[in-house]
Amino acid sequence: MAKNLPKTGIISWLTTVDHKRIGIMYALSSLFFLIIGGIDALLMRTQLMVPNNTVVTGDIFNGLVTMHGTTMIFLVVMPLSAAFFNFLVPLQIGAADVAFPRLNSLSFWIFFFGGCLLNASYLVQQIPAMGWFAYANLSSKQFNPTHSVDFWALGVQVVGLASLIAAINFFVTIINMRCKGMTLLKMPLFIWTTLVTQVLLILSLPVITVALVMLSFDRTFGTGFFNPSQGGQVIMWQHLFWVFGHPEVYILILPAMGIVSEILSTFAKKPLFGYTVMVYSSCAIGFLGFAVWAHHMFTTGLGVWATALFSAATMLIAVPTGVKIFNWISTLWGGKIRFTTASMFAISFVAMFTLGGLSGIMHSSPVIDTQHQDTYFVVAHFHYVLYGGAVMGLFGGIFYWFPKVTGKFMNELMGKAQFWLYMVGFNLTFFPMHFLGLEGMPRRIYTYAPDMNWNFWNFCATMGAYVTAIGGILFFVNFFWSLKFGAKAGNDPWDGRTLEWSIPSPPPEYNFAKLPEVTQLDDWWYKKYTHDGKRLNPPSQPVVDPKTIHLPHQSFWPMVLAFGITMIATGFCVPSSGVFVSLIGLAITMASTYGWAYEEP
Amino acid sequence: MVKNHWCRSVSAKLFREGFGKIMSGSFLSLSSLSLAQETQEQLPAFGDTKWKLFDVSWDAPMNTVTGLTEWSRDINNVYSITTWICVFVFFAVSIPLVYTLYRFRHKAGDQAPPKQFHGNSTLEIIWTVVPVVLLLFIAVPTWRILFKHAQVPPSAMKIEAIGHQWWWEFRYPDNGNVVTANELHVPENTPVHFTVYSEDVIHSFWIPAWGGKKDALPGHKNEITLTSPPLKNANVKGGEMYQGQCVELCGASHALMRFNAVVHSKGEFDSWVKTANSPPTVETASQKAGEEVFARCQACHTIAGTPSEQLPGNKIGPNLSNFGNRKYLGAGTRMNTPENLAQWLKNPAGIKPGNLMPNLGLTDEEIAHVSSYIRQSTTKTY
Repeated sequence: MAKNLPKTGIISWLTTVDHKRIGIMYALSSLFFLIIGGIDALLMRTQLMVPNNTVVTGDIFNGLVTMHGTTMIFLVVMPLSAAFFNFLVPLQIGAADVAFPRLNSLSFWIFFFGGCLLNASYLVQQIPAMGWFAYANLSSKQFNPTHSVDFWALGVQVVGLASLIAAINFFVTIINMRCKGMTLLKMPLFIWTTLVTQVLLILSLPVITVALVMLSFDRTFGTGFFNPSQGGQVIMWQHLFWVFGHPEVYILILPAMGIVSEILSTFAKKPLFGYTVMVYSSCAIGFLGFAVWAHHMFTTGLGVWATALFSAATMLIAVPTGVKIFNWISTLWGGKIRFTTASMFAISFVAMFTLGGLSGIMHSSPVIDTQHQDTYFVVAHFHYVLYGGAVMGLFGGIFYWFPKVTGKFMNELMGKAQFWLYMVGFNLTFFPMHFLGLEGMPRRIYTYAPDMNWNFWNFCATMGAYVTAIGGILFFVNFFWSLKFGAKAGNDPWDGRTLEWSIPSPPPEYNFAKLPEVTQLDDWWYKKYTHDGKRLNPPSQPVVDPKTIHLPHQSFWPMVLAFGITMIATGFCVPSSGVFVSLIGLAITMASTYGWAYEEP
Repeated sequence: MVKNHWCRSVSAKLFREGFGKIMSGSFLSLSSLSLAQETQEQLPAFGDTKWKLFDVSWDAPMNTVTGLTEWSRDINNVYSITTWICVFVFFAVSIPLVYTLYRFRHKAGDQAPPKQFHGNSTLEIIWTVVPVVLLLFIAVPTWRILFKHAQVPPSAMKIEAIGHQWWWEFRYPDNGNVVTANELHVPENTPVHFTVYSEDVIHSFWIPAWGGKKDALPGHKNEITLTSPPLKNANVKGGEMYQGQCVELCGASHALMRFNAVVHSKGEFDSWVKTANSPPTVETASQKAGEEVFARCQACHTIAGTPSEQLPGNKIGPNLSNFGNRKYLGAGTRMNTPENLAQWLKNPAGIKPGNLMPNLGLTDEEIAHVSSYIRQSTTKTY
């Protein structure tokens, strides 16, 4: 059946194994979840606008806290990064597709259904309310008797499976599918940060997978891994969670660092400064990222020696990060910087990430952290890193690669307006949170007394959130407007440096008519310019008959298999008859695995 | 909540001690400037315009930078060093960044690509080594203070701080096993060794003005030594209050898990201990009726010196001995007034959603009686 599936229309999207289409679906889904996570945030900020406010109750607020964090991390930043991996990795390394195209489709659909499962908790009004790191034993059946935590645990489990599958796929793709001449140190930096990210995912996701299995067993079958009254330990969850959770922070930021590196060097029209140092620092960040998890636990009573050593490791991570900042600035130095929306977002990444990094250094000292831990100072810190950093970088990436994906520019005027709304709104929301933290406001409280001196800055923060929301709406207007009316973009609208700019926009299904060969870093640039800056005529893509290029066939099975897997998980979130739901899911999973295995390639 | 005179004197003291050294940023220095024009006696109150302008008055009840105890001063010193290093790094990044953006901006009509250069090893070494050196300036004081405060003074008084959803229990094994709830009483200038744990989920015990926090875990006892600050006014009656709050998400009413730490003179503390566990006096008819109503409360609540002490399960709800003396009810959610108590008794979940206390369906009359019984304040001798 696979051969006869249509090439256009809805079925073609559901069955596609084309990395570019999967990337687009990742992007659209994560932007959809961005709206949900954004609404969570706006509701929280509205509740906290004034003291003793009653917009939502404590339970709902905790639900919003949990879902905002979980959604933004697992359903927005990670899949949006995955969208870039999908679309760009084969194009930047000069390959026809990823190593395992169907597996790629499977991981998208698992992510999508997993995200839906997580958000189904809203529909049945059992919103997980124990915080996105789900500390035991608040997450236990005793203290959360509904299925709320099950939706979270199983939703994250399923979404994690998607990331794990994708990570293996991209790791193999980058190692094995590079075009001729592209040795490791001739890969674009985005490919490097992607590679490091996949290694982090492969090593850290199994930890959370096991922890979530233990949590689900505690909740569903009454085991006592995290239950003190059964001899379990609550602290064990924290160790397991953060052994995953801290590398996760770098999983979120490294792709954005790669994107920013590409954007800055393109818009400065210069090679990335200190490329090899950037590669090594990315690896160092990834490596050290595994040695610092306990800095999330300085107040749990680790003992002084563990505290001292983890603080030292944490401080050390500032060094490769700082090196990156100075290399980005030096990339701009001596360039001819064009200020487009993409480059402005990338530059703001450097500035905002620096601020987030500096407050991070403050927390690396357990002495200071003992005061800041679990206050709004921490909230300020990680939003500067993940929002001012990762999200701003990813927005830069959207504006930068939109012409490649669609063949049209996004509107620059709306883009710049969005950028400034974001900058003002973001800083108005999160900078005051440093003050709130110093004034002792604990994070995750749904209300506060009027005489705590927290009123003014909370009000500012809420206004900032509204300003950001206007920017967000403008982005979506721009997005759809540009899809329809955007100015036509050529193959290489930004005068780019990497291989994706050598092929048409949007790229044909087969990517390269003839797989490229490279001889150096930024090979495409040197096909356009000599080393002393004289313009060359770059070779154009040879004309070929697309029918002669072998491409993997479309298939329904990945989607069906993903549905089956999600259904197994759903059984844990359904009262009483859950086992039947899981068994049906298991049957679907097995049948579709069989169908997949015997389908012609 | 704690708008006492101490707030003003603290901020004045901080300013005298060079508060600007600790903090940074334009907002802060501006508010310090406005403060500079005032003498200690004329310090503006919360509502004054100069304070309101930026609203960064560091005498917020829970602010973390007052430096009243040796530990919190040590923390502030490390924080101060770190902040200055961070300010330096911020400018070391932002000035070159802004300068680069301005100087190397693309000019209209310029088509030739810039010189393509790839890196500079000397620079890479510089911006690797310099941060390492800067970090040492943070790391060394950090470790010094960390190990310095890891030792427990042998003279420390022992108190158990136990977290419950959503209130705090304090037990005094050294002081006749006094038990109280949501109001911690300690003598001034005394090291207190807290044993911190939880009866249900994870909580975190924190009095910001005294120093750092410690998580209260179920199934594991944590320890932290805090030294109570000296009294600012040696003659104060009823002690000086500091606010604390649970800082680890612990369920629906996490935000309503506040408590107060009351610092007394040594003599006053001793008399507090003596009276804390004395049984209530029952004199009026209303109190007698209230005592009978309380029989329905004692499955969960204890009052020292009454039969409720003998019942099992008396740790379910806060210990109500000497309740009339407490400033707040519901773990810092409301002032302890008869009206608020009546409101609480009519609908506990209305004030603190999700809490274990059921609505007993007491009549207004019964509420008045039980209120006069548990709020009677014959033991208010300190």
